[in-house]
Amino acid sequence: MAEIKFEHVSKSYGETHVVKDLQLHIRSGERLVLLGPSGCGKSTTLRMIAGLEEITAGKLFLGNCEMTKVPSGERDVAMVFQNYALYPHMTVAKNITYGLSVQKVPKLEIKKRLELALEMLQLNGLENRLPKDLSGGQRQRVALARAVVKRSKFFLLDEPLSNLDAKLRVTARKELVNIHERFGQTFVYVTHDQIEAMTVGQRIAIMNEGRLQMIDTPENVYHKPANIFTAQFIGSPPTNIIPVKWEGRVLWIGSQQFNMNEAWEEQIVQAGCTEVVLGIRPEHLQLTKDPVPDALQCTVINVENQGRSYGVYLQLNETEIIALSDNGAWIPGETVYVQAALERMHLFDKATTETIGYPEGVHADDHLHQHECVH
Amino acid sequence: MNRETIKFYLLLLPSLAIFLLFVFWPFAYSVYLSFFDWNMISPEKKFVGLQNYIDIIKDPISYKVLVNTFIYIGVLLLMNCIIPYIFAFVIDVVLKRFKNFYKTALFLPAVISLVVGSILFTWLLNPVSGPVAIILGWFDVTMPMWTKTDGWVIVILCLITSWKVFGYNFIVLYAAVNGVDRELIEAARLDRVPARKIFMKIVLPLSSATGIYVLIITVVQGLQYMFTPIKIITQGGPNYASSNAIYHAFHEAFVLYRTGHSAALSILTMLIFFILLLLEFKFVEKGVYYEN
Amino acid sequence: MRTRLQIGGIWHVVLILFLVLMLYPLIYALGNSFKSLSESYGTTLNVLPKLFTLENYQAFFNSLPVIRITLNTFFLGAVTTIVKLVTSFLAAYAFVYFRVKYKPALYFLLISTIFVPFTVTMIPNYLFISRLGLIDSVWGAILPQLADAIGIFLITQSMRGIPYSLIEVARLDRLPHRRIMLDIVLPLVRPAVTSTGIWFFITTWNEYVWPVLILKSTEQYTLPLALQMYISAEGGTNFTVAMAVSVVTMAIPLALYIMFQRYIIGTFASSGIK
Repeated sequence: MAEIKFEHVSKSYGETHVVKDLQLHIRSGERLVLLGPSGCGKSTTLRMIAGLEEITAGKLFLGNCEMTKVPSGERDVAMVFQNYALYPHMTVAKNITYGLSVQKVPKLEIKKRLELALEMLQLNGLENRLPKDLSGGQRQRVALARAVVKRSKFFLLDEPLSNLDAKLRVTARKELVNIHERFGQTFVYVTHDQIEAMTVGQRIAIMNEGRLQMIDTPENVYHKPANIFTAQFIGSPPTNIIPVKWEGRVLWIGSQQFNMNEAWEEQIVQAGCTEVVLGIRPEHLQLTKDPVPDALQCTVINVENQGRSYGVYLQLNETEIIALSDNGAWIPGETVYVQAALERMHLFDKATTETIGYPEGVHADDHLHQHECVH
Repeated sequence: MNRETIKFYLLLLPSLAIFLLFVFWPFAYSVYLSFFDWNMISPEKKFVGLQNYIDIIKDPISYKVLVNTFIYIGVLLLMNCIIPYIFAFVIDVVLKRFKNFYKTALFLPAVISLVVGSILFTWLLNPVSGPVAIILGWFDVTMPMWTKTDGWVIVILCLITSWKVFGYNFIVLYAAVNGVDRELIEAARLDRVPARKIFMKIVLPLSSATGIYVLIITVVQGLQYMFTPIKIITQGGPNYASSNAIYHAFHEAFVLYRTGHSAALSILTMLIFFILLLLEFKFVEKGVYYEN
Repeated sequence: MRTRLQIGGIWHVVLILFLVLMLYPLIYALGNSFKSLSESYGTTLNVLPKLFTLENYQAFFNSLPVIRITLNTFFLGAVTTIVKLVTSFLAAYAFVYFRVKYKPALYFLLISTIFVPFTVTMIPNYLFISRLGLIDSVWGAILPQLADAIGIFLITQSMRGIPYSLIEVARLDRLPHRRIMLDIVLPLVRPAVTSTGIWFFITTWNEYVWPVLILKSTEQYTLPLALQMYISAEGGTNFTVAMAVSVVTMAIPLALYIMFQRYIIGTFASSGIK
């Protein structure tokens, strides 16, 4: 009904390829976040849904109809822009209702929708103000209101919160989810902020350099990253990626031995890999001063007080890794020992950088308790 | 997409139609006329091929007119390109106060008709009874009868036109100078670079696109503006000493009724302007029309 | 090395002197227009009249249909300005908001009109206007001027200043171009359109070249043409009347300038930056 399908869609400007062979299926009525670093193509993808960017190759379907070449006005899409794009010469009320009045929506209906939007977004009393007399947060809500009154099937947001300060963002996120729950539209939301993505999205689509890296729930994106990029992009501090040499049940890190179990060995064999890369999140490393069986020896490089915990930078043979610790009593140069649980590690195929999968039970009961979940 | 193209042309149509009717078609017609001998009235035109062009090139009068044209260009550029540039630099960079006052005051004559200017300066510079003559008389200097003196007549006529054009050029150049990054200038000041060098090595190169634009516009429009004072005051005299290519083409057409000559001369002038147009595009327009 | 203060001071003196020289003619005209002719002989240097008189203005009004001439000038200015603004606005909108294959070529064509000297077009246009029977009619003076490449250029600049996202929002609402043009773009470029309009009016008011070819009888004259009747290269009679006529001719442009100078200067100040 209101699903979005990209079939082998590419977008290029002359020689530059901004989006490459995108296969993306957004479910009807879901809240999907497009996440990625600058220049990854997420905004372009969003704009292709809106019809503001021409699709160079491939097909786009909105609700089962092919819309590849349909002009934006006929796609039933509402969009909130990063800079809000409010008409500077129109009042708040006019900004919100202008589109509807041109569409010849009956006056009574316009009034009803306007009142509802003002109410929902706490804009009552501001109807007759001009955008220049509004604060950033108020302008953002007007932009939202304008999109909401359209009652369109698709609701697109291009980094709508990036110009707000941190405190406002938290309330704004809640407002957005409220809107979604109220009207049930298909939400596509672009951001480069991970926390926003994790809290707002029901699914997250991660993009890098024009390609889709992974699309899945926030939990899976965090705990079962599909490739090295995702593992390193999501989470702060980023996942440690350690080059290893695989030999049966052992991963050699230089001259040190990291022992796996049968399940993992099976996993690698099944995946048909020859070489792997080890990934482990800083918070999943246990740090001790005394040698412990199955631990790896490292030297402390540096300790950073990150507020909630301490980031300890370690030299593990040739690789620099980070571990998180509750106390900061680590001295640069001292020898320490790290342990990594087998249920917390990730393995990636060295050639393709893709995950080789996870044996049964690994990351099974992980939850995102560190982040506020709004579902 | 085609509907968009139709709308585009519809929107452009009014301007385009006017330009086609009153600029492009006349241009073509003038080219046509330049190959004929005609007096604008008789029903017959005599085809003479390139004779008009040859006449012009051979004519000693047109040689004089051509030389005059270059003198005009030189004086106009000095008065309306170099001096406003220097003033723009001084007012924007060297001075600290009264900038807006100077801008407003310098631009003022630009809104006044050249006819007014001609009249005012004719009286002011009257070699016998004008104020300037009287003041010079205190120093025992007699003013030349500039309307009858070769050389001086060009200078004075340029003065009149420049009086009006100066302000416009100044404002445009001022904006360009203003657009030069202040930090570069501050850095130079900290290094005790003299103002003259700051102008030549920093400001001038960085505002050169506009500078070239002003230079080209001064030549193209300045020569045409000169028509008014020439026609009103000297009518090209004495003996074509104040005539330039523009005025002479007018003279040929509406005084001597030799439309063929006039058309040929204007086409030749047009060719020179066209070269300037190409230069303008090359140096100035660099991708002004970007796609949205 | 001289201090900044001294250098600044010297330049101020230079500039003030320059300004005095530039603006003196206007004061001269104003002052002398109120002097009687006899008085002006002895006192050309004095700006202020000893005996204030309106005889010069009266002479002007008596010898020519001044009201009619002023109305002609006004009519020429107003009609030309309004039509030019419309044609320029439409063309500018087309250039800014449409993607068409031959746009660069058309743009070049447009700019080229600035580089065509009037001598190239004067004969054919004269003949054409003559054939239309519009010689000696203000419409003959108006017709060839109804489009202006500089106007298109100035308005285009202003339109480019509008954030494109505003137009995108409008497109998403399925707004037709007519609405976008009138409800969104026009209000936002109104300052540029206004100042361009004022500039057009002043320029047309002051025009000489084309009107002098077309308008023949004094009833059809515009003020600059009427003024030109009072010129005499040698000097001589009617000096003070000439000053009065000059004052009348420059009154409106100066008034507009004083009222709108920030607008007018602003347009050109931003157009020059490339």
